[in-house]
Amino acid sequence: MRDVDTSFAGAAVQAEGGQGTAGDYFALLKPRVMSLVIFTAFVGIVAAPGTIHPWIAAVALLAIAVGAGAAGALNMWYDADIDARMRRTASRPVPRGAILPGEALGCGMTLAFGSVLALGRLVHVAAGALLAFTIFFYIVIYSMWLKRLTPQNIVIGGAAGAFPPMVGWVSVTGSVDLGSIALFLIIFMWTPPHFWALALWKKINADYSNAGVPMLPVVAGADETRRQILIYSLLLVPITFLPALVGTAGAIYAGVNVALSAMFVYHAVKVYRLREGAEAEMACKKLFGFSTLWLFMVFALILLEHAVGVPAFAPVMG
Amino acid sequence: MSKTMAKVPFGPEDMARRRKRALVMALVLAGLAVLFFVTTIVRLGGSIAERSF
Repeated sequence: MRDVDTSFAGAAVQAEGGQGTAGDYFALLKPRVMSLVIFTAFVGIVAAPGTIHPWIAAVALLAIAVGAGAAGALNMWYDADIDARMRRTASRPVPRGAILPGEALGCGMTLAFGSVLALGRLVHVAAGALLAFTIFFYIVIYSMWLKRLTPQNIVIGGAAGAFPPMVGWVSVTGSVDLGSIALFLIIFMWTPPHFWALALWKKINADYSNAGVPMLPVVAGADETRRQILIYSLLLVPITFLPALVGTAGAIYAGVNVALSAMFVYHAVKVYRLREGAEAEMACKKLFGFSTLWLFMVFALILLEHAVGVPAFAPVMG
Repeated sequence: MSKTMAKVPFGPEDMARRRKRALVMALVLAGLAVLFFVTTIVRLGGSIAERSF
């Protein structure tokens, strides 16, 4: 067998394993994404028909949150090479060298199996299966396959971020009903305009270009991306009203959503019309910021209606 | 086979980091034990009183 030569850099890095702090491991779980997952999954649990013991609901939320963290860790393990080439992500624990890729993989896999088993065994087997599929979809379909292959990466990959409210819903009912599909579709259609608005920022666009990630603005150009943002924003409007049509939301949701949807389209039109200079950049930033608030508001409205006991409309569909 | 893998000594900072990580792991494990115990009781519910001995 060959002697192990410690003179090359890789060996030194290997020998320095186990240096990550608890904070580094927390960052590995993408806590900001996790907070959105917890919130939307909570809305899924609250909006679902039927009852669930509050403790079991808390266990479901914890398992879903840990599952999201596992997906974040596995994504950072697989994407360490492109993360290192982008300013926005270069300080993540793996490209920074605080956590070795193998450690990120081990952490991600442990949490993935743990969260799926906990959700499946302690809450509902169907919810566990759906969480497993969500993690698989995010890592294998999005991170490993689509992200580096097609400018439509975020369109199909966005489904991974849309599953958490459905997992929450299934934790209560044990089945995928129309209400959970409506919540899924809202996040699914919201994701492309939200991320493309971010990808249009000059700094972010340059990052994706340097890293060779075929985001839509890199491959098809800024004008086509603006057109796609407008199309998806217009398609999002009717989908936003689906929860009211399937008996999951009521009058407050529908009424406030008229204004929210109009504002979303207004910001998308501004992005479409302003093509050059600081104003165009600002329009993209405003759409990105507003779309984040928009999603929070839409889900918070469902929560509010259930909290104050506003009756949902009778289902028109389903 | 001869190995020439260099030993990297752990300094006080490394040891402190390790201790903190180990403490967090211990807390997580203790939390999981509580989680599984309480969940078992909740899922059993009233059935525990109706079991046959």
